[in-house]
Amino acid sequence: MTPPPTVFDPGLQPERTVLAWRRTALSLVVASTLSARLMAPALGAEAVAMVSGAGLGLALVLVVAAARRRRGIEASLREHGDLSHAPGAATLAVTAATCFASGMAALVFVLGRTLT
Amino acid sequence: MSPARLRFPRHVYGEGHEPDPRFSLANERTFLAWVRTGLALLAAGVALEALEPPVQPGFRLAASMLFLVLGTVTPLQAWRGWAQDERAMRQQRPLPSPLLAAPMAAACAVAGLLLLVGLLLA
Repeated sequence: MTPPPTVFDPGLQPERTVLAWRRTALSLVVASTLSARLMAPALGAEAVAMVSGAGLGLALVLVVAAARRRRGIEASLREHGDLSHAPGAATLAVTAATCFASGMAALVFVLGRTLT
Repeated sequence: MSPARLRFPRHVYGEGHEPDPRFSLANERTFLAWVRTGLALLAAGVALEALEPPVQPGFRLAASMLFLVLGTVTPLQAWRGWAQDERAMRQQRPLPSPLLAAPMAAACAVAGLLLLVGLLLA
């Protein structure tokens, strides 16, 4: 009888990592919705909808990507005992780039308000 | 066993040996924690300017800009720190010190002081 599939890490790190991605997605939703709400008087209702919509959409993408990532990580751990066959860091790079772009947009918004 | 394909980014995964996967996953979670910190800083910067709390406008703008700049730079450092740490683990070198953490904490303290002074002056 084959032994039951073992959990590679009793600390359940892959699960904790997925939760960290979800927390990040949640922060993204909160930050974008709050910013959209706060910018509403200056930018109008359509901008609010766009910003919150983009934030929510991106957050969903992160959650789905994190689930896929976890499957790849666990497959690599099961079959090779390490992360050599796990997904690369493209999701991380895209996340960082998006947050940087949001920061630039926020700077433009605040500077625009101040200088006009 | 199928050969491992070279993962993105090459400058991290192109060299060295596989570290303990738990360290890599911890590194990933650290990256995400920095990203969340950056998002919180951005939200603080936007809120200060949009909500117009009763703080002297010059001080409020200064604090807001400081939070926004920090929040914009944080995701860049998050990625850079992740890459440096992953490379160091792969090459079995000591982890580089998180150079940005102390200046960031100091900058947050400065922003808080600006708000406090501005609150008193309003």
